[in-house]
Amino acid sequence: MKEQSRRVNHPCGQIVARPHEMDELLERVWTQREKGKEDQTSLLAATPVEEGERWLKGLLAEKLIHLEGGSPEGEKVLFTPEGEKEAREIIRRHRLTERLFADVLKTSEEVWEREACELEHQTVLTEEAVSAVCSFLGHPPTCPHGRPIPRGRCCSEFKKDLTPFVIPLSEAQVTESYKIVFMTPENHRRLDRLAVLGILPGSTIRIHQKRPSYVIRCGETDVALDLEIVKDIYVRKG
Amino acid sequence: MADKEQLVASETTPKIALVGNPNVGKSVIFGLLTGRYVTVSNYPGTTVEVARGATTIEGQPVVIIDTPGVNSLVPMSEDEQVTRDILLKEGPTAIIQVADAKNIRRALLISLQLAEMGKPFLLDLNMEDESAACGITIDKTELATKLGVPVIGTIAIQKRGIKEVQKKALSVAPATFRFSYSAEVETAIQNIKTLLPKSPISRRSIALMILSGDKSLKGWMHEKLSDQTIDQLEQIRDSLSRLYSEPVAYVINKQRLRVVDELMSFCVRQERREKEGWQSWVGRLSMHPVWGLFVLAGVLIVVYEFVGKFGAQTAVNFLEKGLFGHYLNPWAVTLFSKIFSFSPFLRDLFVGEFGIVTMALTYALAIIFPIVITFFIAFSFMEDSGYLPRLSIMLNRLFRLIGLNGKAVVPMVLGLGCDTMATMTARIMDTRKERVILTLLLALGVPCSAQLGIVLGMLGALPIWATFLWFGVVGGSLILVGFLSAQILPGDRSDFMMEIPPIRRPTLINIVTKTFARLEWYLKEVVPLFIIGTLFLFLLDKSSLLPKIQNFASPLVEGFLDLPKEATEAFLVGFLRRDYGATRFFDLFGKGRLTPIQAIVSLIVMTLFVPCLANVLMIIKERGMRTMIAIVGFIYPFAFFVGGIINWGLRIL
Repeated sequence: MKEQSRRVNHPCGQIVARPHEMDELLERVWTQREKGKEDQTSLLAATPVEEGERWLKGLLAEKLIHLEGGSPEGEKVLFTPEGEKEAREIIRRHRLTERLFADVLKTSEEVWEREACELEHQTVLTEEAVSAVCSFLGHPPTCPHGRPIPRGRCCSEFKKDLTPFVIPLSEAQVTESYKIVFMTPENHRRLDRLAVLGILPGSTIRIHQKRPSYVIRCGETDVALDLEIVKDIYVRKG
Repeated sequence: MADKEQLVASETTPKIALVGNPNVGKSVIFGLLTGRYVTVSNYPGTTVEVARGATTIEGQPVVIIDTPGVNSLVPMSEDEQVTRDILLKEGPTAIIQVADAKNIRRALLISLQLAEMGKPFLLDLNMEDESAACGITIDKTELATKLGVPVIGTIAIQKRGIKEVQKKALSVAPATFRFSYSAEVETAIQNIKTLLPKSPISRRSIALMILSGDKSLKGWMHEKLSDQTIDQLEQIRDSLSRLYSEPVAYVINKQRLRVVDELMSFCVRQERREKEGWQSWVGRLSMHPVWGLFVLAGVLIVVYEFVGKFGAQTAVNFLEKGLFGHYLNPWAVTLFSKIFSFSPFLRDLFVGEFGIVTMALTYALAIIFPIVITFFIAFSFMEDSGYLPRLSIMLNRLFRLIGLNGKAVVPMVLGLGCDTMATMTARIMDTRKERVILTLLLALGVPCSAQLGIVLGMLGALPIWATFLWFGVVGGSLILVGFLSAQILPGDRSDFMMEIPPIRRPTLINIVTKTFARLEWYLKEVVPLFIIGTLFLFLLDKSSLLPKIQNFASPLVEGFLDLPKEATEAFLVGFLRRDYGATRFFDLFGKGRLTPIQAIVSLIVMTLFVPCLANVLMIIKERGMRTMIAIVGFIYPFAFFVGGIINWGLRIL
């Protein structure tokens, strides 16, 4: 059977849905390229031979990749411009999801890895939703593993400002003013204790210093805090 | 005390409670209103104990209660619970809410809760000078109209505005200000209100506390309500909390703060602040990662010059050699020899080698007293100026390593003055694990000022490497033991979240009164122990038991540690007070009975000893008998073991 994408009914109308396995392979072409490997052998190393060949043929038929001969390790697998765009979106969705589940929702690594694999597929999140998540997270440059997140249109619009939209307070600049957008502390007690000091969403806050301990100023109150608390406070400039 | 009798007898006299955030000057105002002094401190948590004072206002006798600082009346700390319980259970006639004018936002959060309680109160905006310097103007008339309670501006340290507070304190009424929460919260409040009994504070406010999940209210609830009602209350709370993704307490606080911000938009104006004063410059410098270390070094030098040089040398010389050596002791010897001419035993009891006057009182008053008094002055100065919290910031990371956090700096520094007092303040740590570690480290390796003075005196006569060795071994033991107990002991580390008060010029009168209060406590604690210790030695000496004990301990003291047999005597009294023990070594050393290696070994062992009997008693009181046995059972073998290793190492070299 020849593997091909099929049209599916989606709330937003008909869109092209590829089998998830093809997405996985596209994703793998991207990550292999990040490691500097482009040969077919290492690309299919982790997949059963028959399966891998089948999905590779599928991608070739969709004109998402093309092959180039020549290297001793086997043929090179390269993106077509169309394939590069698709892979980029998948990677972007995957890594943004990881960030969302790891940083904001504080799920375990197992959970955020799994969710990222589910939500990376094109049929799940619309482009608007991805942009919204990206802005919400403050256009993060890397995933929790430290690999780069491909920039989207929302990021380049934001680039003029250079600093992301919403950032953890720990990454804020000393003496600039920020507004607290949300807080994700590990326990409620911490949230309550911060709240009565006036540190809660909507409050204006400034980092006084980062070393030897964080000292932040809220109104006319100076408070010394541990890094663990500071990085759970998300702020935006203003 | 006359005050006390009056307080006990005065169940019906009106009570006025002072309530407010930490560091707003409540204690100063309390002092001004009552004329009686309590500890004023910059550090959150120092006024854990509640002070009460009797006075008359407008010819009417009243009792004034100084409550611990709170950030909310839904308690999140022991302090806050004490304050809330005073309001809930004692039902004061009136409340004076003291606010730091420049932090009015946080103060109004409490005002709203007082308004909800339906208690008569007035709002005292203190430190108006500081808020003016920050460019903050508060329209007090407008605020008073909105809240429906008197709003009075004061500058407590200059006694400004206090008269007016006093005048209005008894004639206040409950606030007229009303505000509502979101519809869901309001419904839940209504449902809970119908289930509650009548109390000194309004049902509405208790309902809000219950909705906030206030666990400290449990005792009160079980006392006043049936189990069935409590179940109902919990159901109402649970169904409300299901509506929100955030905890209900936080939702309520957020809504309150919205009301506060609206109030502030009418009454508070923030203009450009004046140029920053020297205080904020010093404040920044003292917590700077690099300059802060220089400031710390500077502070240490000044403290050393004042306590170590002036207190421990100049003043001690004057008192010990001069006053006691030349005048008091010879005079006492003559006097007691005459009185007890019939009995050498009784004469020696007072003026012999181990005499109460010639040894106990001379040690206590001539040697220890000047050191302790200068230390407490220095400590009060650091405390009142706001330096200590900044030191916490500098040392937070180091303290994290040993299972504590920056908050523990204050008890540790206080321990350099008196470990017993410091053990008592270990309560400010949030978790039991931290309290135990702190108590252990204080007992193990923080020498109190009395001992430190003697140690430094002895080290001064030794080569410089001895000082480094002593410091390294004691500091190393603290870090090692702290680190290991942080791994071994069960329990949690708590957050480092500490308010940093501005740098303020300490007022002389506060420092003097505070030093006297501490000194009084110290003398009551120490002098009796010195006398007991001396008596103990005296009896050992007279009963000729001493040689037997010396023989018994000889394998340990003479064998393992290579010390002369008189050292046993020093260790024996060291069980009572380690500075007393150290003083014996100081004597021995002065008489040339100790070699440099013996001197350093004895200093290290004695420093690692448990400070004194009073400290042991305080550990029992604060941490319990079992913890005390564990701590003491660890420290003594450890001290001898470390001493043995150092002795062995030095002899090999």
